[in-house]
Amino acid sequence: MRLYQKSLIPISGVIYGQTIYWLTLLSSCLVLLGTIISFLEKDSPIPANQLLQSVIDGKSVDQIWHGIGLSAAPDMFFFLANPSFGESITMIGIGIGVSSVVPATFFSAYFLKKSRNPVFAVLAVMAGLLTCFAVSGITL
Amino acid sequence: MLDGFRNNRELSILVVATLCCYLFLETQIDGAAFGGQGGFSSIDIIVISFFVSVIIAVIAVIAGVGGGVIFTPLLLAFTSFDTLLIRSTGLVVAMFSGLISTGPLMRKGLADIKLVLLGALPIIVGGMSGSFTAIHLAQQFGEKSDGIIRLLLGLMLLLIAALFIFKSGTSDYPVLKKSENFSQRLKLRKTYWESSLSSYVSYRATNVKLSIFLFLLVGFTGGFFGLGGGWAAVPLLNLVMSIPIKVATGTSGVLLALGNAAAIWPYINVGALIGIIAAPWMLGQVIGGLIGASLLTALKASVVRALLITILFGSSLKLVARGIESLTGVEIPVL
Repeated sequence: MRLYQKSLIPISGVIYGQTIYWLTLLSSCLVLLGTIISFLEKDSPIPANQLLQSVIDGKSVDQIWHGIGLSAAPDMFFFLANPSFGESITMIGIGIGVSSVVPATFFSAYFLKKSRNPVFAVLAVMAGLLTCFAVSGITL
Repeated sequence: MLDGFRNNRELSILVVATLCCYLFLETQIDGAAFGGQGGFSSIDIIVISFFVSVIIAVIAVIAGVGGGVIFTPLLLAFTSFDTLLIRSTGLVVAMFSGLISTGPLMRKGLADIKLVLLGALPIIVGGMSGSFTAIHLAQQFGEKSDGIIRLLLGLMLLLIAALFIFKSGTSDYPVLKKSENFSQRLKLRKTYWESSLSSYVSYRATNVKLSIFLFLLVGFTGGFFGLGGGWAAVPLLNLVMSIPIKVATGTSGVLLALGNAAAIWPYINVGALIGIIAAPWMLGQVIGGLIGASLLTALKASVVRALLITILFGSSLKLVARGIESLTGVEIPVL
Protein backbone atom coordinates (compact mmCIF):
# COMPACT_ATOMS: atom_id res chain seq x y z
CA MET A 1 0.00 0.00 0.00
CA ARG A 2 2.78 2.39 0.99
CA LEU A 3 4.65 1.77 -2.25
CA TYR A 4 1.47 2.31 -4.28
CA GLN A 5 0.77 5.55 -2.46
CA LYS A 6 4.29 6.80 -3.21
CA SER A 7 4.04 5.86 -6.86
CA LEU A 8 1.06 8.26 -7.33
CA ILE A 9 3.24 11.31 -6.77
CA PRO A 10 5.37 12.08 -9.83
CA ILE A 11 9.08 12.61 -9.16
CA SER A 12 9.07 15.60 -11.55
CA GLY A 13 6.63 17.38 -9.22
CA VAL A 14 8.60 16.54 -6.09
CA ILE A 15 11.87 17.78 -7.64
CA TYR A 16 10.11 20.97 -8.78
CA GLY A 17 8.69 21.59 -5.31
CA GLN A 18 11.88 20.86 -3.37
CA THR A 19 14.02 23.11 -5.59
CA ILE A 20 11.64 26.04 -5.04
CA TYR A 21 11.22 25.34 -1.32
CA TRP A 22 14.95 25.43 -0.49
CA LEU A 23 15.70 28.41 -2.72
CA THR A 24 12.80 30.33 -1.12
CA LEU A 25 14.22 29.60 2.33
CA LEU A 26 17.67 30.82 1.19
CA SER A 27 16.00 33.89 -0.26
CA SER A 28 14.20 34.62 3.04
CA CYS A 29 17.50 34.44 4.96
CA LEU A 30 19.15 36.91 2.56
CA VAL A 31 16.17 39.28 2.80
CA LEU A 32 16.41 39.22 6.61
CA LEU A 33 20.16 39.88 6.49
CA GLY A 34 19.69 42.69 3.97
CA THR A 35 17.03 44.34 6.14
CA ILE A 36 19.29 44.43 9.20
CA ILE A 37 22.28 45.73 7.20
CA SER A 38 20.12 48.45 5.63
CA PHE A 39 19.36 49.87 9.08
CA LEU A 40 22.91 49.47 10.43
CA GLU A 41 25.07 50.65 7.52
CA LYS A 42 26.46 54.17 7.43
CA ASP A 43 27.20 56.22 4.28
CA SER A 44 25.38 53.84 1.96
CA PRO A 45 24.66 55.21 -1.53
CA ILE A 46 21.14 53.82 -1.03
CA PRO A 47 20.29 55.23 2.41
CA ALA A 48 17.38 53.46 4.06
CA ASN A 49 16.07 56.60 5.76
CA GLN A 50 15.70 58.56 2.51
CA LEU A 51 14.25 55.58 0.69
CA LEU A 52 11.64 54.95 3.39
CA GLN A 53 10.66 58.61 3.76
CA SER A 54 10.28 59.06 -0.02
CA VAL A 55 7.99 56.02 -0.25
CA ILE A 56 5.91 57.18 2.73
CA ASP A 57 5.62 60.66 1.19
CA GLY A 58 4.06 59.07 -1.91
CA LYS A 59 6.82 60.04 -4.35
CA SER A 60 6.88 58.33 -7.74
CA VAL A 61 9.44 55.64 -8.50
CA ASP A 62 11.62 58.00 -10.58
CA GLN A 63 11.46 60.73 -7.92
CA ILE A 64 12.47 58.23 -5.23
CA TRP A 65 15.64 57.14 -7.05
CA HIS A 66 16.56 60.64 -8.26
CA GLY A 67 16.05 61.87 -4.70
CA ILE A 68 18.79 59.63 -3.36
CA GLY A 69 21.20 60.70 -6.08
CA LEU A 70 20.96 57.86 -8.60
CA SER A 71 20.71 59.03 -12.21
CA ALA A 72 18.46 56.09 -13.15
CA ALA A 73 16.33 53.58 -11.30
CA PRO A 74 18.54 50.58 -10.41
CA ASP A 75 17.82 47.17 -11.94
CA MET A 76 19.00 43.77 -10.76
CA PHE A 77 22.36 44.18 -12.54
CA PHE A 78 23.04 47.27 -10.42
CA PHE A 79 22.36 45.32 -7.23
CA LEU A 80 24.54 42.40 -8.40
CA ALA A 81 27.36 44.83 -9.16
CA ASN A 82 27.07 46.39 -5.68
CA PRO A 83 26.34 43.38 -3.47
CA SER A 84 27.55 44.81 -0.16
CA PHE A 85 24.71 47.30 0.45
CA GLY A 86 21.71 46.27 2.54
CA GLU A 87 19.23 47.17 -0.21
CA SER A 88 21.28 45.12 -2.71
CA ILE A 89 21.33 42.04 -0.45
CA THR A 90 17.56 42.34 0.09
CA MET A 91 16.89 42.67 -3.64
CA ILE A 92 19.25 39.79 -4.50
CA GLY A 93 17.36 37.71 -1.90
CA ILE A 94 14.00 38.57 -3.46
CA GLY A 95 15.52 37.92 -6.90
CA ILE A 96 16.64 34.41 -5.86
CA GLY A 97 13.15 33.69 -4.51
CA VAL A 98 11.29 34.81 -7.61
CA SER A 99 13.84 33.13 -9.91
CA SER A 100 13.71 29.81 -8.05
CA VAL A 101 11.12 28.64 -10.58
CA VAL A 102 13.74 28.71 -13.39
CA PRO A 103 15.99 25.83 -12.20
CA ALA A 104 12.88 24.07 -10.87
CA THR A 105 11.22 24.02 -14.31
CA PHE A 106 14.42 22.78 -16.00
CA PHE A 107 14.98 19.97 -13.44
CA SER A 108 11.32 19.06 -13.72
CA ALA A 109 11.56 18.99 -17.55
CA TYR A 110 14.36 16.41 -17.34
CA PHE A 111 12.28 14.08 -15.16
CA LEU A 112 9.14 14.65 -17.24
CA LYS A 113 11.06 13.61 -20.36
CA LYS A 114 12.37 10.53 -18.54
CA SER A 115 8.83 9.59 -17.53
CA ARG A 116 7.65 9.83 -21.18
CA ASN A 117 5.81 13.13 -20.92
CA PRO A 118 7.58 15.00 -23.75
CA VAL A 119 4.82 17.61 -24.23
CA PHE A 120 5.00 18.71 -20.61
CA ALA A 121 8.81 18.58 -20.67
CA VAL A 122 8.71 21.09 -23.56
CA LEU A 123 6.14 23.22 -21.69
CA ALA A 124 8.40 23.25 -18.62
CA VAL A 125 11.42 24.36 -20.69
CA MET A 126 9.33 27.07 -22.36
CA ALA A 127 8.05 28.34 -18.99
CA GLY A 128 11.64 28.48 -17.70
CA LEU A 129 12.87 30.27 -20.83
CA LEU A 130 10.04 32.83 -20.69
CA THR A 131 10.92 33.59 -17.07
CA CYS A 132 14.60 33.95 -18.09
CA PHE A 133 13.44 36.39 -20.79
CA ALA A 134 11.60 38.40 -18.12
CA VAL A 135 14.66 38.33 -15.82
CA SER A 136 16.92 39.60 -18.63
CA GLY A 137 15.18 42.96 -18.56
CA ILE A 138 14.42 43.02 -22.26
CA THR A 139 11.37 45.20 -22.75
CA LEU A 140 8.87 44.86 -25.55
CA MET B 1 -0.23 24.24 14.80
CA LEU B 2 2.82 23.85 17.00
CA ASP B 3 3.28 20.29 15.71
CA GLY B 4 3.63 21.65 12.19
CA PHE B 5 6.51 23.89 13.26
CA ARG B 6 8.11 21.22 15.44
CA ASN B 7 8.24 18.86 12.46
CA ASN B 8 9.89 21.47 10.31
CA ARG B 9 13.16 22.63 11.81
CA GLU B 10 14.23 25.02 9.05
CA LEU B 11 10.95 26.90 9.16
CA SER B 12 11.01 27.16 12.95
CA ILE B 13 14.48 28.70 12.67
CA LEU B 14 13.24 31.19 10.08
CA VAL B 15 10.29 32.25 12.27
CA VAL B 16 12.52 32.77 15.32
CA ALA B 17 15.17 34.62 13.29
CA THR B 18 12.55 36.93 11.74
CA LEU B 19 10.96 37.76 15.09
CA CYS B 20 14.43 38.42 16.62
CA CYS B 21 15.32 40.67 13.65
CA TYR B 22 12.23 42.86 14.09
CA LEU B 23 12.62 42.91 17.87
CA PHE B 24 16.22 44.07 17.37
CA LEU B 25 15.13 46.83 14.96
CA GLU B 26 12.41 48.06 17.32
CA THR B 27 14.56 48.07 20.45
CA GLN B 28 18.11 48.81 19.27
CA ILE B 29 17.74 51.21 16.32
CA ASP B 30 16.74 54.85 16.73
CA GLY B 31 13.52 55.00 14.75
CA ALA B 32 13.47 58.81 14.69
CA ALA B 33 16.55 58.81 12.41
CA PHE B 34 14.59 57.01 9.69
CA GLY B 35 11.63 59.39 9.42
CA GLY B 36 8.03 58.27 9.50
CA GLN B 37 4.45 59.42 9.33
CA GLY B 38 1.93 60.39 11.99
CA GLY B 39 3.00 58.93 15.30
CA PHE B 40 4.88 56.05 13.67
CA SER B 41 8.57 55.87 12.77
CA SER B 42 9.63 54.10 9.54
CA ILE B 43 10.79 51.15 11.66
CA ASP B 44 7.33 50.94 13.28
CA ILE B 45 5.81 50.92 9.79
CA ILE B 46 8.17 48.10 8.69
CA VAL B 47 7.32 45.98 11.76
CA ILE B 48 3.57 46.67 11.43
CA SER B 49 3.81 45.74 7.72
CA PHE B 50 5.29 42.38 8.70
CA PHE B 51 2.47 41.55 11.13
CA VAL B 52 -0.23 42.80 8.72
CA SER B 53 1.33 40.60 6.03
CA VAL B 54 1.15 37.58 8.36
CA ILE B 55 -2.57 38.28 8.98
CA ILE B 56 -3.22 38.76 5.24
CA ALA B 57 -1.46 35.47 4.45
CA VAL B 58 -3.48 33.58 7.08
CA ILE B 59 -6.78 34.98 5.72
CA ALA B 60 -5.70 34.42 2.11
CA VAL B 61 -4.68 30.80 2.66
CA ILE B 62 -7.87 29.92 4.57
CA ALA B 63 -10.11 31.74 2.07
CA GLY B 64 -8.28 30.09 -0.82
CA VAL B 65 -7.17 33.33 -2.53
CA GLY B 66 -3.73 34.86 -3.06
CA GLY B 67 -2.61 37.56 -0.63
CA GLY B 68 -2.34 40.11 -3.47
CA VAL B 69 -6.12 40.42 -3.74
CA ILE B 70 -6.21 41.80 -0.16
CA PHE B 71 -2.88 43.66 -0.06
CA THR B 72 -3.05 45.67 -3.30
CA PRO B 73 -6.56 47.15 -2.87
CA LEU B 74 -5.96 47.95 0.82
CA LEU B 75 -2.73 49.85 0.15
CA LEU B 76 -4.05 51.55 -2.99
CA ALA B 77 -7.13 52.69 -1.11
CA PHE B 78 -5.64 53.74 2.22
CA THR B 79 -2.02 54.87 1.59
CA SER B 80 -0.36 57.49 -0.56
CA PHE B 81 2.33 55.08 -1.83
CA ASP B 82 3.06 55.16 -5.57
CA THR B 83 0.73 52.75 -7.39
CA LEU B 84 3.54 51.02 -9.33
CA LEU B 85 5.33 50.36 -6.04
CA ILE B 86 2.17 48.92 -4.49
CA ARG B 87 1.45 46.69 -7.46
CA SER B 88 5.00 45.29 -7.62
CA THR B 89 4.96 44.57 -3.88
CA GLY B 90 1.47 43.09 -4.40
CA LEU B 91 3.00 40.52 -6.75
CA VAL B 92 5.60 39.63 -4.07
CA VAL B 93 2.73 39.19 -1.60
CA ALA B 94 0.80 37.12 -4.14
CA MET B 95 3.61 34.72 -4.92
CA PHE B 96 5.69 34.00 -1.79
CA SER B 97 3.10 32.03 0.19
CA GLY B 98 2.67 29.96 -3.00
CA LEU B 99 6.43 29.50 -3.41
CA ILE B 100 7.04 28.25 0.13
CA SER B 101 4.09 25.85 -0.02
CA THR B 102 5.15 24.37 -3.40
CA GLY B 103 7.45 21.79 -1.77
CA PRO B 104 4.96 20.38 0.78
CA LEU B 105 2.05 20.43 -1.71
CA MET B 106 4.01 18.55 -4.37
CA ARG B 107 5.27 16.01 -1.81
CA LYS B 108 1.68 15.33 -0.68
CA GLY B 109 0.37 15.10 -4.26
CA LEU B 110 -2.01 18.04 -3.67
CA ALA B 111 -0.64 20.02 -6.62
CA ASP B 112 -0.58 18.57 -10.14
CA ILE B 113 2.63 19.34 -12.04
CA LYS B 114 0.93 18.76 -15.42
CA LEU B 115 -1.86 21.25 -14.66
CA VAL B 116 0.73 23.73 -13.36
CA LEU B 117 2.72 23.54 -16.60
CA LEU B 118 -0.41 23.66 -18.77
CA GLY B 119 -1.56 26.90 -17.09
CA ALA B 120 1.94 28.35 -16.73
CA LEU B 121 2.53 29.55 -20.30
CA PRO B 122 -0.76 31.49 -20.69
CA ILE B 123 -0.39 32.93 -17.17
CA ILE B 124 3.24 33.99 -17.79
CA VAL B 125 2.43 35.57 -21.17
CA GLY B 126 -0.70 37.24 -19.76
CA GLY B 127 1.11 38.37 -16.59
CA MET B 128 4.04 39.92 -18.46
CA SER B 129 1.67 41.66 -20.89
CA GLY B 130 -0.27 43.01 -17.90
CA SER B 131 2.91 44.31 -16.23
CA PHE B 132 4.20 45.97 -19.40
CA THR B 133 0.78 47.56 -19.98
CA ALA B 134 0.70 48.89 -16.39
CA ILE B 135 4.19 50.40 -16.70
CA HIS B 136 3.39 51.86 -20.14
CA LEU B 137 0.17 53.40 -18.80
CA ALA B 138 2.04 54.95 -15.86
CA GLN B 139 4.71 56.42 -18.18
CA GLN B 140 2.15 57.75 -20.68
CA PHE B 141 -0.45 59.23 -18.38
CA GLY B 142 1.54 59.94 -15.20
CA GLU B 143 -0.69 60.76 -12.23
CA LYS B 144 -3.86 60.35 -14.30
CA SER B 145 -3.06 56.64 -14.67
CA ASP B 146 -3.27 56.31 -10.85
CA GLY B 147 -6.89 57.45 -11.01
CA ILE B 148 -7.69 55.09 -13.88
CA ILE B 149 -6.06 52.15 -12.04
CA ARG B 150 -7.89 52.87 -8.78
CA LEU B 151 -11.25 53.19 -10.55
CA LEU B 152 -10.80 50.02 -12.65
CA LEU B 153 -9.53 48.01 -9.68
CA GLY B 154 -12.41 49.24 -7.50
CA LEU B 155 -14.92 48.05 -10.10
CA MET B 156 -13.11 44.75 -10.50
CA LEU B 157 -13.09 44.15 -6.74
CA LEU B 158 -16.86 44.68 -6.65
CA LEU B 159 -17.09 41.94 -9.27
CA ILE B 160 -14.82 39.61 -7.26
CA ALA B 161 -16.77 40.25 -4.04
CA ALA B 162 -20.03 39.52 -5.91
CA LEU B 163 -18.46 36.31 -7.25
CA PHE B 164 -17.66 35.22 -3.69
CA ILE B 165 -21.21 36.00 -2.52
CA PHE B 166 -23.18 34.47 -5.38
CA LYS B 167 -20.91 31.56 -6.29
CA SER B 168 -23.12 28.53 -5.76
CA GLY B 169 -20.45 26.66 -3.86
CA THR B 170 -17.43 24.81 -5.11
CA SER B 171 -17.57 21.13 -5.84
CA ASP B 172 -15.32 19.16 -3.47
CA TYR B 173 -15.13 16.10 -5.68
CA PRO B 174 -16.51 16.80 -9.19
CA VAL B 175 -18.17 13.84 -10.87
CA LEU B 176 -15.85 12.17 -13.37
CA LYS B 177 -16.92 13.39 -16.82
CA LYS B 178 -15.78 12.13 -20.19
CA SER B 179 -12.92 14.42 -21.14
CA GLU B 180 -12.39 15.71 -24.67
CA ASN B 181 -9.76 14.28 -27.05
CA PHE B 182 -7.27 17.06 -26.34
CA SER B 183 -7.32 16.31 -22.61
CA GLN B 184 -7.06 12.57 -23.24
CA ARG B 185 -4.05 13.02 -25.50
CA LEU B 186 -2.30 15.09 -22.80
CA LYS B 187 -3.19 12.42 -20.20
CA LEU B 188 -4.60 15.09 -17.86
CA ARG B 189 -5.88 12.62 -15.29
CA LYS B 190 -4.60 11.65 -11.88
CA THR B 191 -5.39 9.79 -8.71
CA TYR B 192 -4.42 11.15 -5.30
CA TRP B 193 -4.71 9.96 -1.72
CA GLU B 194 -7.52 11.86 0.08
CA SER B 195 -6.70 11.55 3.76
CA SER B 196 -10.06 12.93 4.96
CA LEU B 197 -11.85 10.10 3.09
CA SER B 198 -9.09 7.54 3.66
CA SER B 199 -9.36 6.58 0.01
CA TYR B 200 -8.04 7.41 -3.43
CA VAL B 201 -9.81 10.07 -5.52
CA SER B 202 -9.50 10.15 -9.31
CA TYR B 203 -10.09 13.13 -11.58
CA ARG B 204 -9.91 14.02 -15.27
CA ALA B 205 -9.45 17.57 -16.57
CA THR B 206 -12.21 18.92 -18.84
CA ASN B 207 -12.65 22.08 -21.00
CA VAL B 208 -8.88 22.34 -21.45
CA LYS B 209 -8.84 24.69 -24.48
CA LEU B 210 -11.29 27.14 -22.86
CA SER B 211 -9.25 27.03 -19.67
CA ILE B 212 -6.02 27.96 -21.49
CA PHE B 213 -7.74 31.14 -22.77
CA LEU B 214 -9.12 31.92 -19.30
CA PHE B 215 -5.64 31.44 -17.75
CA LEU B 216 -4.37 34.11 -20.17
CA LEU B 217 -6.98 36.58 -18.83
CA VAL B 218 -6.21 35.66 -15.21
CA GLY B 219 -2.49 36.28 -15.89
CA PHE B 220 -3.15 39.68 -17.50
CA THR B 221 -5.33 41.02 -14.68
CA GLY B 222 -2.89 39.63 -12.10
CA GLY B 223 0.10 41.34 -13.72
CA PHE B 224 -1.73 44.60 -14.50
CA PHE B 225 -3.26 45.19 -11.07
CA GLY B 226 -0.60 43.33 -8.99
CA LEU B 227 -3.35 41.12 -7.57
CA GLY B 228 -1.96 37.69 -8.32
CA GLY B 229 -4.92 35.59 -9.44
CA GLY B 230 -5.79 33.04 -6.79
CA TRP B 231 -9.34 34.40 -6.61
CA ALA B 232 -9.90 33.31 -10.23
CA ALA B 233 -7.57 30.32 -10.63
CA VAL B 234 -9.24 28.15 -7.96
CA PRO B 235 -12.79 28.48 -9.40
CA LEU B 236 -11.36 28.01 -12.90
CA LEU B 237 -9.63 24.75 -11.99
CA ASN B 238 -12.54 23.48 -9.88
CA LEU B 239 -15.64 24.61 -11.78
CA VAL B 240 -14.37 24.71 -15.38
CA MET B 241 -11.75 21.94 -15.39
CA SER B 242 -13.52 19.65 -12.83
CA ILE B 243 -10.48 19.33 -10.55
CA PRO B 244 -11.23 18.41 -6.88
CA ILE B 245 -11.17 21.51 -4.67
CA LYS B 246 -8.12 20.47 -2.61
CA VAL B 247 -5.99 19.83 -5.71
CA ALA B 248 -7.39 23.00 -7.33
CA THR B 249 -6.36 25.12 -4.32
CA GLY B 250 -2.88 23.54 -4.13
CA THR B 251 -2.31 23.72 -7.89
CA SER B 252 -3.51 27.34 -8.01
CA GLY B 253 -0.91 28.48 -5.43
CA VAL B 254 1.93 26.70 -7.24
CA LEU B 255 0.77 27.88 -10.67
CA LEU B 256 0.47 31.53 -9.65
CA ALA B 257 3.87 31.49 -7.96
CA LEU B 258 5.32 30.40 -11.33
CA GLY B 259 3.24 32.89 -13.33
CA ASN B 260 3.95 35.87 -11.08
CA ALA B 261 7.69 35.07 -11.13
CA ALA B 262 7.76 36.36 -14.70
CA ALA B 263 5.24 39.17 -14.15
CA ILE B 264 7.32 40.75 -11.38
CA TRP B 265 10.53 41.22 -13.40
CA PRO B 266 9.33 44.12 -15.57
CA TYR B 267 8.64 45.98 -12.28
CA ILE B 268 12.05 45.04 -10.80
CA ASN B 269 13.84 46.15 -13.96
CA VAL B 270 12.38 49.67 -13.80
CA GLY B 271 13.20 50.04 -10.09
CA ALA B 272 9.54 49.74 -9.05
CA LEU B 273 10.27 47.15 -6.36
CA ILE B 274 12.05 48.54 -3.31
CA GLY B 275 13.67 45.86 -1.18
CA ILE B 276 13.36 47.49 2.22
CA ILE B 277 9.60 48.00 1.65
CA ALA B 278 8.94 44.57 0.10
CA ALA B 279 10.99 42.60 2.69
CA PRO B 280 8.51 42.59 5.62
CA TRP B 281 5.64 41.80 3.26
CA MET B 282 7.56 38.90 1.74
CA LEU B 283 8.64 37.44 5.10
CA GLY B 284 5.11 37.86 6.46
CA GLN B 285 3.75 35.86 3.54
CA VAL B 286 6.24 33.03 4.05
CA ILE B 287 5.45 32.74 7.78
CA GLY B 288 1.71 33.58 7.56
CA GLY B 289 1.28 31.11 4.69
CA LEU B 290 2.53 28.33 6.94
CA ILE B 291 0.37 29.41 9.89
CA GLY B 292 -2.67 29.63 7.59
CA ALA B 293 -2.02 26.14 6.24
CA SER B 294 -1.81 24.84 9.83
CA LEU B 295 -5.02 26.64 10.90
CA LEU B 296 -6.91 25.53 7.81
CA THR B 297 -8.64 22.65 9.57
CA ALA B 298 -9.34 24.52 12.84
CA LEU B 299 -11.04 27.69 11.57
CA LYS B 300 -14.47 28.04 9.97
CA ALA B 301 -13.94 28.94 6.33
CA SER B 302 -17.31 30.77 6.26
CA VAL B 303 -16.14 33.29 8.89
CA VAL B 304 -12.96 34.04 6.95
CA ARG B 305 -14.92 34.29 3.70
CA ALA B 306 -17.27 36.88 5.28
CA LEU B 307 -14.25 38.86 6.50
CA LEU B 308 -12.71 38.73 3.02
CA ILE B 309 -15.93 39.96 1.37
CA THR B 310 -16.11 42.86 3.86
CA ILE B 311 -12.49 43.83 3.10
CA LEU B 312 -13.12 43.63 -0.66
CA PHE B 313 -16.29 45.75 -0.51
CA GLY B 314 -14.69 48.35 1.81
CA SER B 315 -11.59 48.64 -0.38
CA SER B 316 -13.59 48.78 -3.61
CA LEU B 317 -15.77 51.67 -2.40
CA LYS B 318 -12.72 53.63 -1.29
CA LEU B 319 -10.88 52.84 -4.56
CA VAL B 320 -13.79 53.95 -6.77
CA ALA B 321 -14.12 57.16 -4.73
CA ARG B 322 -10.37 57.90 -4.97
CA GLY B 323 -10.35 57.06 -8.68
CA ILE B 324 -13.21 59.47 -9.42
CA GLU B 325 -11.60 62.13 -7.20
CA SER B 326 -8.26 62.04 -9.05
CA LEU B 327 -9.88 61.95 -12.50
CA THR B 328 -12.49 64.67 -11.95
CA GLY B 329 -11.20 66.66 -9.00
CA VAL B 330 -14.57 66.26 -7.27
CA GLU B 331 -14.15 65.27 -3.62
CA ILE B 332 -16.19 62.25 -2.53
CA PRO B 333 -16.44 61.71 1.23
CA VAL B 334 -16.00 57.95 1.82
CA LEU B 335 -14.51 56.70 5.14
